[in-house]
Amino acid sequence: MPTCRSDIIAWVGSSIVPHEGELRAWLRRRALPFQEIDDVVHDSYLRIAQLREVDHIHNGRAYLFTTARSVMLQRVRRERIVRIDSLTEVEALKLEDSNPGPERYVGARLELERIQRLLASLPDRCREVFRLRRIEGISQREIAERMGLSEHIVEAQAVRGLKLLMNAIREEEGRGQHHQGAQGEQRSVFRQNDR
Amino acid sequence: MSSVLFSDKMIDDRAAEWAVRLDLRPLGSLERAELDEWLSQDGRHVGALLRAQATLAYVDRAQPAAADIPVAQTDGDQPFGASRRRFLRLAGGGAMAAAAVLAVMILPRDDGQELSTGIGEVRRVSLADGSIAVLNTASRVAVSLRPTQRAIRLEQGEAWFQVAHDEARPFVVQAGTLRVRAVGTAFGVRRHEGGSELLVSEGVVEWWLEGQEANRRRLEAGDRTFVGTEPSLIREIVPVTSTDMEELQRGLAWRDGDIILKGETVDYAVAELNRYNRRRIVVTDPQIGRERLVGYFRTNDPANFARAVVQMTGARMSEDESEIRLTRQ
Repeated sequence: MPTCRSDIIAWVGSSIVPHEGELRAWLRRRALPFQEIDDVVHDSYLRIAQLREVDHIHNGRAYLFTTARSVMLQRVRRERIVRIDSLTEVEALKLEDSNPGPERYVGARLELERIQRLLASLPDRCREVFRLRRIEGISQREIAERMGLSEHIVEAQAVRGLKLLMNAIREEEGRGQHHQGAQGEQRSVFRQNDR
Repeated sequence: MSSVLFSDKMIDDRAAEWAVRLDLRPLGSLERAELDEWLSQDGRHVGALLRAQATLAYVDRAQPAAADIPVAQTDGDQPFGASRRRFLRLAGGGAMAAAAVLAVMILPRDDGQELSTGIGEVRRVSLADGSIAVLNTASRVAVSLRPTQRAIRLEQGEAWFQVAHDEARPFVVQAGTLRVRAVGTAFGVRRHEGGSELLVSEGVVEWWLEGQEANRRRLEAGDRTFVGTEPSLIREIVPVTSTDMEELQRGLAWRDGDIILKGETVDYAVAELNRYNRRRIVVTDPQIGRERLVGYFRTNDPANFARAVVQMTGARMSEDESEIRLTRQ
């Protein structure tokens, strides 16, 4: 079972995380408030965490969008007052998902460039810790020795780096070529449920 | 609103800390307990941890491709990915072992959790499978998440469940002789003297009486039923009116600490409020008890309710530490 779970983490890293930025960008363009976007994303990952198998999922992007759609539907249902605009958004998400289109798939090269860009944006010490750990695959103690730092600082730097990466992914505008200029769009259109 | 934003950011930050610790070294038993506690607090925490772990894994993902793609220089003195080929060879070792450790940590556990609430307390608990249980006042629930079944026993009181979808593991609630099975749905169960009340707020559930699983019945969202301990006592109040979800929400208002009355008698309302408070309301006059009320009250504020009764019926109110008495003028 442990192997199954590590498979799932690796699969989520390769098949879901690359599309998270796009999902967030899509939700943002629909003028959902930020905290709602965060909740939808967390709930989507929660559902994926509950999967026992991922072998049957061929298209991670479609799976992520479908999961997010069902999370949104559930959230809409839980509200006492159904927001018409939310339902419309959920429907739109379905359309989006039903037509993935091969051009959306980003090649390995683009993906690599993206990760490089993300890593390059880290402060030097964070990046070095990441490089040693993720690329050289060496232990915390060895990293500490090589860099002349305490293990505690190695850990703190790794945490700092991961936070920055997660933030960068969160802020990204998504890579879809058709997703340009999403910033500053009609955020105010969304009506808060004032109960 | 900003507090919500802040808390989501905090969740991500905590998740990043745990993901890194899990990646770097084995956790101490205190840390392990702390992580378990954190994960059980909120389903979003489980999701956020997976996201953080997967983001780490995502960084690795570029490696295989790197072998034949020219690598962009970083601004540091070392080109990123200089030792990617070596990494590939190592990947099966350290990285995988680390991932296996992570994996063990987030497996849902089954340790026969026991949940309970005191009088006046409403408690919301995330179960390890992602389901949510909300316990009403003076209730007790035993949770046992087994590989083939999620078995919940409502020993006392009332609870509402939002069930995480998992077809392989049906979610079965036992309340006295009543059994309710759900896959992914939401419903409430309340134990009464002589039976249990079942109320479905989402999806479909199946229910049956102990030992009579062949004789299952379905209940859909918006339906409500009372199941007596004797089969002859089964009384289906279904449907309330199947579209009247408002009615259903009313039955579940306790989750927010509210009670909503739409023409119920004072006696009924007093019995309800007394479930939530040690300081009881006593109605000494039958005529006041028969008066009907409409209104929205807090379950933990019996004095406020009593004052409303005084205003509406002209009753007289007297109170001490343990009781609020409503009598005739």
